[in-house]
Amino acid sequence: MEWRPFSPEYLLEVLPVLFPFLGVTLTVTVGTIVFGSLLGGLLAWAGKSRSRLLAVLSRGYIYIIRCTPSIVLLFIVFYGLPKFCLEVLETDINDYDKIFFVLVSFTLLFAAPISEVMRSAWEAVDRGQYEAAVSIGLSPGQAFFHIVLPQAAVVALPNFGNSVINLMKEGALAYTIGLVDMIGKGQLIISHNYGAYALETYLALAAIYLVLTVGVEKLCRYLERSFSPPRSAA
Amino acid sequence: MELDYDFLATTFLLVLTAVPVTLKLTAVSLLFSAPFAFGIALLRRQAAGLLQRLAAAYVTFMRGTPMVLQILMIYSLLPSLLNALSQTLRLELDVFSLDPIWYAYAVFTLNTTALFSEVLRSGLGSVADGQLEAALCAGLTKPQAYIHIILPQAMTAAMPNICNLTVNLIKGTSLAFLMTVKDMTASAKVAASYGYNYIEAYMDVLAGYIIVCSIIQAIFYFAEQHVGRYRLSRGKQV
Repeated sequence: MEWRPFSPEYLLEVLPVLFPFLGVTLTVTVGTIVFGSLLGGLLAWAGKSRSRLLAVLSRGYIYIIRCTPSIVLLFIVFYGLPKFCLEVLETDINDYDKIFFVLVSFTLLFAAPISEVMRSAWEAVDRGQYEAAVSIGLSPGQAFFHIVLPQAAVVALPNFGNSVINLMKEGALAYTIGLVDMIGKGQLIISHNYGAYALETYLALAAIYLVLTVGVEKLCRYLERSFSPPRSAA
Repeated sequence: MELDYDFLATTFLLVLTAVPVTLKLTAVSLLFSAPFAFGIALLRRQAAGLLQRLAAAYVTFMRGTPMVLQILMIYSLLPSLLNALSQTLRLELDVFSLDPIWYAYAVFTLNTTALFSEVLRSGLGSVADGQLEAALCAGLTKPQAYIHIILPQAMTAAMPNICNLTVNLIKGTSLAFLMTVKDMTASAKVAASYGYNYIEAYMDVLAGYIIVCSIIQAIFYFAEQHVGRYRLSRGKQV
């Protein structure tokens, strides 16, 4: 392999080719945030519930996912889910789009940390807030949605942002089961070039990811600041 | 759902034989990165200059890009870079027969350095400034003050984060198979490819990771108790 100088022009050339596939990456991220938060909320609720069994199940699930490398779960879902559906549920999902398997795996993965974020945010809001709300005549549901949730959301924001950033970075693994997202497209471009300009392509991808993750971080910090109650100067 | 239980059992033993590779990757990366991470953490606590900005940019890059991308980048760059280096220096080094685990060490060390420096930085930040001043006033030199006064306190605060870092690093090493390193994931993948028993193989890998992570977390639990044994507030606060 001969040594070839780095070509910054190619970096700019490859960016517009990669951009259309940003949509796939963002679909995975947003889809996972939605479904993962729902499952995470369920887990957090189960962990707090009076039923011993539910609490143990929820904690066990969170423990296992904490020890699970994303790529291993991705492979288990990719190979296991079609077989499971075929033999147990008797539905054939072998021809489902790969994004389906990616979404299922990352939802399972994302739910665990997000349930921890929700739990700690819920615990951070003083119990008296809820009691005060109920005592002035709000229903438990109203008290939760109008009093506790807005306060918990602000507390949860920084950790939520971190989890989303981690999710974005882990989401880059989706190409290993053949999803053509940004990284998948990058790999295709590189093999199309017979392995040339690999570094330039990867750097272009890194730049896009860097903008995304730094962007999410900045956005979270901005939201946190605008939603926090104004503090008196101390 | 029918699983091949014989295969599940034999592959589990096979996966267990690859556990040392995972532990090696984790331990070497942590040990190599620790001094650099500490250097970056100390550097970034000083007022902003060119060096500080470079360190910050490095940390942002490593934290802001996916690990896979870093692996792909270094695995495509480092071999030819080393080759060019050995050719210009006439080292007679056969770069392409180098054990790929060295590239894995390189990637994970570079990545861990950035994350570790953040952990240490927040740990150092948790120690009150007065501690250093008091130590210097008492006649200790700066290195003495750091070794005997600041670091023990910083480590107590940093321990839970170091545990997290280690667990994440262990999980991250599952990507080493992309660099053809024969770790748990790779050996299971090879075993599965003969009979297409991927589900069983990856369930074994999952079990392997859960065992390894559980042991590491247990070790860190005791390490935390050990490091925190001088904590004055113990027993006074809840």
